[in-house]
Amino acid sequence: MSMWRSISWWFTLIVLLGAGLWPIASGSATGREDMFLILMLVTLASSLNILLGYTGYVNFGHIVFFGLGGYIGFYLMHRQGWSLGPAMIAGGLATAALALVLGTIILRLRGAYFALATIGINEAVRAFVANFEPFGGATGMSLNFAVYQAYGGAAQALWIAYGVLLAVTLLTVGISFAVKHSKFGLGLMAIREDEDAALVLGVRGPRAKTLAYALSALFPGMVGVLFFFKNGNIEPGDAFRLHLSIETLVMVMLGGQGTVWGPILGAALYERLRGYLLTSPLFKSLHLAFAGMLLLLIILFVPAGVIGWLRARFPAIRRVIP
Amino acid sequence: MMRWMKMSGILVILAMLAACAAPTPPAPTATPAGPAQPAAQPSPTPAASPTPAVKKIVLGFTASQTGKLTKESKEQVQGLQLWLEDLQRAGGIRLPDGTVIQVELKFYDDESTKERVQQLYVKLINEDKADFLISPYSSGLADAAAVIAEQYGKIMITTGAASDSTYEKGYQHIFQIYTPASRYLTGAIDFLKKLDPNARRIAIVYENEKFSTDVVNAAKPYAESQGFEVVLFEGYETGTTDFGPFINKIMAARPDAIIGGGHFQDGSTLAKQLFEKKVPVKMIALLVAPAVPEFAQLGDAAVGVIGPSQWEPGARYSPDSAKAAGLPWYGPTVDQFVSAYKAKYGYEPGYHAAGGYAAGLVLQKAIEEAGSIETEKVKAALEKMDLMTFYGRIKFDTGKAHGKQIGHEMVYLQWQKDASGNLIRPIIWPEAAQAAKPIYPLSR
Repeated sequence: MSMWRSISWWFTLIVLLGAGLWPIASGSATGREDMFLILMLVTLASSLNILLGYTGYVNFGHIVFFGLGGYIGFYLMHRQGWSLGPAMIAGGLATAALALVLGTIILRLRGAYFALATIGINEAVRAFVANFEPFGGATGMSLNFAVYQAYGGAAQALWIAYGVLLAVTLLTVGISFAVKHSKFGLGLMAIREDEDAALVLGVRGPRAKTLAYALSALFPGMVGVLFFFKNGNIEPGDAFRLHLSIETLVMVMLGGQGTVWGPILGAALYERLRGYLLTSPLFKSLHLAFAGMLLLLIILFVPAGVIGWLRARFPAIRRVIP
Repeated sequence: MMRWMKMSGILVILAMLAACAAPTPPAPTATPAGPAQPAAQPSPTPAASPTPAVKKIVLGFTASQTGKLTKESKEQVQGLQLWLEDLQRAGGIRLPDGTVIQVELKFYDDESTKERVQQLYVKLINEDKADFLISPYSSGLADAAAVIAEQYGKIMITTGAASDSTYEKGYQHIFQIYTPASRYLTGAIDFLKKLDPNARRIAIVYENEKFSTDVVNAAKPYAESQGFEVVLFEGYETGTTDFGPFINKIMAARPDAIIGGGHFQDGSTLAKQLFEKKVPVKMIALLVAPAVPEFAQLGDAAVGVIGPSQWEPGARYSPDSAKAAGLPWYGPTVDQFVSAYKAKYGYEPGYHAAGGYAAGLVLQKAIEEAGSIETEKVKAALEKMDLMTFYGRIKFDTGKAHGKQIGHEMVYLQWQKDASGNLIRPIIWPEAAQAAKPIYPLSR
């Protein structure tokens, strides 16, 4: 694959791997927790970017895949005694399959109609799960603490979950990169610029869009399993939090939609910023107001996002930062 | 002009990014004034004749300063802060060997979400070197924190968290202050049975989330075992603001009593709309909301509403009642706690505040008993604990549901109007603690 001969891919890989391995190398649990959230958000944002950035379809219900994947994986671990790896893959595949089915229906909608439909899906799935007894209904499910013994104790289990998450993140970003530089990706971008023209030019619109949707649903499903495994319990309210969906959109916009690095930087910046404001004695009561104001500034003055702005300003870096 | 605005905007952003990129400075434990206010309070040094060894411990927790749980969480933190103040005034925890333990509170905002809770508890344990932990408010958040506490083998006293399920997961270091959810509404059913042998029909309307569901899932079979008929059993979504459809269903089911509810927002809205629609029932008992002082803002709609409460200012726990029960007494009396709280915050404490105070108090007693701040010794002291405080009896399960509260009992309050028309909330159940004659049936 030509991807492995690209400087920008190697750059991305090394930076991500470096940041991801740092907590493992230093053995810092706090670093791991911080990094876990960042990597989780990077995965969510990067996978959302496949649909939002490349294809130009705004998805407000991205989190439905995170929640549903989490639920399916959790169910398999909790009730069927599966181990983390297979449960995670099953969670991801199930959400991708769901997206494939949903996509063929709702991707006929365009613009605001599609965006509205995605909200509807999230709410519908949440209401369904909250009343679905095998998934524990409104009470949700909890893992017994003894489950972690199979992974060499609870502390070890957290490191394992982190390591797996790092791998999933690298895979997500890799796929995002590969899509962007493929013929398939060009098709998606043609749809983004002008869907009718793309159809005329021979892009198989519905199929390409549905595939992009399924691809963007695969990774949140896997991450959901990891997150709720680490969490130890799962409830409908936490699994389908529309708020997080919107935050993910903001991350993509902040970093720069349609670029590989945008969602990575956007997620990391957003999370670090929130985390910093949250624990800083000066801002800890004002952090939401402060974060909101900063976002407003960015949307007003740098609408293309940080990466978009940098790439426009300094064309030279385009070779390094995809 | 535009250029300058752009440039300055970018500068602001860059400055912020630089601030974020800098690693969050690990908060040194020795900082005299941590984020918690109480440290600003001058702590008088104990006047013991041989200079005692002073040890400092950090008590970590998260508070929901933003998000949906702010109201209840704030009360809880205030209770805890009051405990710390009292402790500091007393000079700290004195161990039998003469060592004095000074406590520092360390807390962050968890935004009422689980992601933050886990991240921040790991930070509290690893960076702030918290020796002991207090749970965040709400069963869901406490559950998320419990995983972390157990993983690191830290003792966590949970308060504001009543779900039973947390204690059925095999944790060994988590100790519950609240009476568990399964015993929340059973007293209201006893009350109804005692006052009105003819009442038969109960409607259960509850918030469709963890805590409320746990409560009603235990209350329903209990009501049925007591000879009641559950004519409606229906959950509503968190954040519901229009109960019209539910009220129509309730009307159609013609119940004698309505029990259920969820948290403050939805519970008070439900009470208000039941009043406005003049739903003809004899008793309404709702979770959480009636026990929060702000419930008084409903005015007439509040009158007659019964709420289970972990504790009330009118609770009749005293050194004498402890003696009668053959239990040791510990800590301030009910009056001392209520007046100190009123003096500091300007209003009467509810049970969230009392739970916060009690969490600190229980930990303090356990450290004293253990004569050490070593986790295993304090844990053993907690397991052995069986005592009476202003908050009631405290005793933990040491069997299968390790750490679950088995000593503490609920009280039931009812909003009433006193002679001058002010809203008050006397205890009406259990009978032994009754402070006023209950209003029954409701006149609607």
